[in-house]
Amino acid sequence: MDFEKRSDVRASHAAAGTTEDTWRIGNAEMASRFFLGTGLFPNPFVQNEAIAVSGAEVLTFAIRRVDLESAEDDSILQHLEPGKFRFLPNTSGSRTAEEAVRIARLARASGLSDWIKVEISADERTLLPDPIETLRATEILVKEGFTVLPYISDDPVICRKLEEAGAAAIMPGGAPIGTGLGILNPYNIGLIVEEANVPVIVDAGLGTASDAALAMELGAAAILMNTPVAKAQDPVGMALAMKLAIEGGRLAYLSGRMGKKRYASASSGFDALKVK
Amino acid sequence: MAELTINGSRKELDADTLADVVELLGLGGRPVVAEVNGEVVASEKWAETQVESGMKIELVHFVGGG
Repeated sequence: MDFEKRSDVRASHAAAGTTEDTWRIGNAEMASRFFLGTGLFPNPFVQNEAIAVSGAEVLTFAIRRVDLESAEDDSILQHLEPGKFRFLPNTSGSRTAEEAVRIARLARASGLSDWIKVEISADERTLLPDPIETLRATEILVKEGFTVLPYISDDPVICRKLEEAGAAAIMPGGAPIGTGLGILNPYNIGLIVEEANVPVIVDAGLGTASDAALAMELGAAAILMNTPVAKAQDPVGMALAMKLAIEGGRLAYLSGRMGKKRYASASSGFDALKVK
Repeated sequence: MAELTINGSRKELDADTLADVVELLGLGGRPVVAEVNGEVVASEKWAETQVESGMKIELVHFVGGG
């Protein structure tokens, strides 16, 4: 987004970073720019508290076989207030487009959402997304009427191709899933944002609040994260930290940061420093 | 008795329909999605979906994830 466009946004949303600065995926209008994952939390109570303070409107899930040997209901949905959230199921565990499409159809059959996060891992060590299978799955699922949000590497060219294939948003990773390494290539994320005509959601690899702020300063529309919140010593405190960082980074982006300079320039003018 | 493969395990169940299978496994009323021989079957159709020996059934649900 160029500066003039940003100024328009700022003018029409005096309270940028708050509920007046909304954005869209398909027909869904959202105020929160924080998508929260639901894995790895110490228990459902901490998870619900973290979800509440995060302000997240969209929660992510995985699809797995029901454990027939366990009588206990381990479905994540039993702990959530019905109707309060939009659901973004993922296709984690898939290694090919066909497997991802199958999981997506199962997810949609739940009747809870036609959004799908395409997540196809090339190998278990890095969990890096397979760009070719991801593109194939996106093409198929868009044709089947899904709202497709592919998780993808931070490569501007594959991101463009996913957009051309009809992805409703593009979700480049900052670093491999669960590493907490932050945004390894801010240049690429910035370029992806610059070129995209759909929302860019930085997904995966973030570790702490400054990573979330940086993503937003680079112009991301939103952040998707799970591990940094769930695995913090205080997940509820970290959920709030992330929310504030996302809002701060968003406001900094809309406000247009100063240019970087190599040498100092005194705020009061240099002459004022001289004692004559 | 129907000899079925459910979530990768062999099970013998006294079931005529998919709805019976879900009940007999104690999953009635839970947010479960079913697939029979690779095709998703919507929950409204469980009661009219006949099961017979040799069928492969997958029962999945939402779990925590990013």
